[in-house]
Amino acid sequence: MRIVIDVLIVLSIFFAFAGVVGLLRMPDTFCRMQSSTNVTTFGVLFVLIGGFLYALFYLHNGEMMVKCVILAVFYFVTSPIAGHAIAQAAYLHGVRSEKKMACDAYGEDLKKGPPQPQSAEEPAAEAAPAQDETAKEESET
Amino acid sequence: MSELLFFAICFVAMALVLAARFVVGPSVADRAVAGDCVETLTDMAMVLFALYSGRAIYLDIALVTALLGFIGTTLIAKYLEGKL
Amino acid sequence: MKKANGAAVVSTMIVCYIFWLLVTGQIVEFFYGEASWQILAAGLIVSFAVALFSARFFIHDDTFFLANPIHILKLIGYCFGTFMIELAKANIDMAKRAFSPKLPANSGIVKVPVNLDKEYAQAMLANSITLTPGTITMDMAEDGNGQLYYYIHWIDVASQDPEEAGEMIKGTLEKGIGGIWK
Repeated sequence: MRIVIDVLIVLSIFFAFAGVVGLLRMPDTFCRMQSSTNVTTFGVLFVLIGGFLYALFYLHNGEMMVKCVILAVFYFVTSPIAGHAIAQAAYLHGVRSEKKMACDAYGEDLKKGPPQPQSAEEPAAEAAPAQDETAKEESET
Repeated sequence: MSELLFFAICFVAMALVLAARFVVGPSVADRAVAGDCVETLTDMAMVLFALYSGRAIYLDIALVTALLGFIGTTLIAKYLEGKL
Repeated sequence: MKKANGAAVVSTMIVCYIFWLLVTGQIVEFFYGEASWQILAAGLIVSFAVALFSARFFIHDDTFFLANPIHILKLIGYCFGTFMIELAKANIDMAKRAFSPKLPANSGIVKVPVNLDKEYAQAMLANSITLTPGTITMDMAEDGNGQLYYYIHWIDVASQDPEEAGEMIKGTLEKGIGGIWK
């Protein structure tokens, strides 16, 4: 059982290290946010499973078991909320990627303003780049 | 027993490396995300130290730190969005 | 913002009280028979006061949905089955991407349609998408016809067609969530 706990924690350190390396190396802000998700999912989960097993088999401490489970649930509930809050705020604040994005549907729709059924769609669709016109037509149907 | 302490030191070392991104990050969102990750990694180190020392009080501190990190990140996001 | 009714307050109070029991460690003492009833009553009063103020943010419809054990079983099955498999695949893919020397990042923001009608289901799908590394939900919007869209930042844009991208990002997740919140 000792070996299982150690393997779980080493696995967690591996994923957290992947997240840290991605966070240092990725080219733009949004990609770095994707790597930070790597830290807060599997980097957290395996440590807490290992802690649960350790408290169950070695420490015989019920309070620590319960708190490990609560911490895991808490991270999995709150980290996506902080994720989309900070992503949307960064986009609205004016952070863009240095390289060109493959497609940017959100920016086009922000320029168009709040959506109306038919009339406002037409000039914006013509102004968009040619590669996105199929996406526009799909979204209108 | 003592390898738990070694793993905790690994987490703290990763948090220190990540502080570089916190310093050089070109935009505010970068710093916020890096700060969130530093907080998560130190939290995990604290959980491992709680297991090493066998006291539940460090897990309490980890819970409170997680809560404060979440609130701080959300607050920075709201402020950047201009709704605060 | 809708006003909260009594049932919403009661269900929020139950959830708050369970969470309070777990966090303060009262439930362990409760199992050993050492919990005093004064502390338990104080927790009940505090959680009722919290529920009075915060119920209108959480509960809008289907108040006692999770009181049914079949729904709880389905939720646990989703969390530990379908969602864990997707999470593991995305994590391993993201780790490969971070360690590869060329950094294959072809990022972009795509707009995918979502066909879920309950509010809880929409929030849960957005959180699941954000939790899988490689995709972040940025915003949700409705067009004029009532169709709901998510704007998703995707690190590797494989297709720009909304239907196909939606199938690749959230195909199994959406089926799993649609099975829970019918």
